[in-house]
Amino acid sequence: MAWVDSLYRTALRLTHVPADAEDLVQETYLKAFRAADRFQAGTNLRAWLFTILHNTARNRARDRARDTVTADSEVVDRADDSAVAWAGTSPAETPETLLLRDTLTPDLQAAVEALPDAFRQAVWLRDVEEFSYAEIAEMLAIPVGTVMSRISRGRRLLFDRLQHLRPVNA
Amino acid sequence: MPDCTSIDSLITPYVDGDIGAPERRLVDEHVRRCPPCYSRVSAERAVFELMRTKRDELASVTASPALRDRCEALRRLSSAAAAGAGAAKAWRTRLAPLAVAAGVVAATGAASMYLLTERSSSLLAAELTADHVKCFGMKSVLRVTDDPAEAERTMASTFGWHMPQPEAAAQAGMELLGARVCLYGRGLAAHLMYLHNGEPVSVFMIPKTSRPESVVDVMGHEAAIWSTGGRTFVLVAREPENQAEAAADLSRMTAVVQTAMH
Repeated sequence: MAWVDSLYRTALRLTHVPADAEDLVQETYLKAFRAADRFQAGTNLRAWLFTILHNTARNRARDRARDTVTADSEVVDRADDSAVAWAGTSPAETPETLLLRDTLTPDLQAAVEALPDAFRQAVWLRDVEEFSYAEIAEMLAIPVGTVMSRISRGRRLLFDRLQHLRPVNA
Repeated sequence: MPDCTSIDSLITPYVDGDIGAPERRLVDEHVRRCPPCYSRVSAERAVFELMRTKRDELASVTASPALRDRCEALRRLSSAAAAGAGAAKAWRTRLAPLAVAAGVVAATGAASMYLLTERSSSLLAAELTADHVKCFGMKSVLRVTDDPAEAERTMASTFGWHMPQPEAAAQAGMELLGARVCLYGRGLAAHLMYLHNGEPVSVFMIPKTSRPESVVDVMGHEAAIWSTGGRTFVLVAREPENQAEAAADLSRMTAVVQTAMH
């Protein structure tokens, strides 16, 4: 049960509804216990659980014919960088790190929540849950290069959003 | 100097510090001369560092005690099922006729519609089997009513539902150990706890839901699910090891469970 908290947090990012997140975590454990004999010793158990969690979430979305993750992913993967509103930020204007230094946690949480699903999942799994690119690729069933691309674009979208919040916070 | 496209895939590992020395030098060299890429790296790094700083706060949400308990109960169920993997699979034949009988009642009743909830039958069965194990294990500390008359009043006032009379249950060899109102999903459910041939048996009643009949294996247990009159019933019991005994119990169990459907 060591990872029930982090599984629940991630499930909440996927479903946005606490009761649905709890269902997802329970179904994840149920599947994991049933498939315990297929778990390969020496691999990362936590990453394996997260993979089951994401597979289950994808299957549920497919079953409901509202596969927002896939649709979202297709759109964002086709988008080029010009669609990401970070351009125009000149390093000469403001040191970026200083700009975000006083960001309030609720603002950051809101900005993360506002990201498109595909970006939010990648950034969350990397920066909060601290999985490797390869582990995230396995969980999301996408190539490693796509994982890095989504993390990059997700971070730049976050920067853009938080940068615009700055005058409000100041 | 490498162009922007050739270093594009290196920027995120570069920001994360997850890159080899030769590639790092390549990116260093490029961003010194390329303002757009320098800007991109700076923005990404600022967010990377902010997320690292705020990581503990972002990760402060924890699972509820109820979720933790259910997952723990699933783990215990899994261990118990692995230990008893050779047990006879007699409950399927034993409980399937119950579902069929329930279907007959539902089909002849006025309310035979099946409104699927968001939860799958397998998850419903797993959750309630976990609750079955948890509640029997913690009966002494939970708010369990063991007085049949009080249990009847509680179920009638909470759900407008009349649970099976103790005499009817006793005829089927089911002794009422207790009853409680428990949380289920976004609402409440009734949980009746019986002993049958020395084994714990649970009957859950979830109001205002309907779903198709099914019998679900859940790690050493089986759950029969059926609905009637806008209520869903789930009977949970361990898979018996003695198939002959199971067959003999069928008619008595059916009578009690059908009583519970009204």
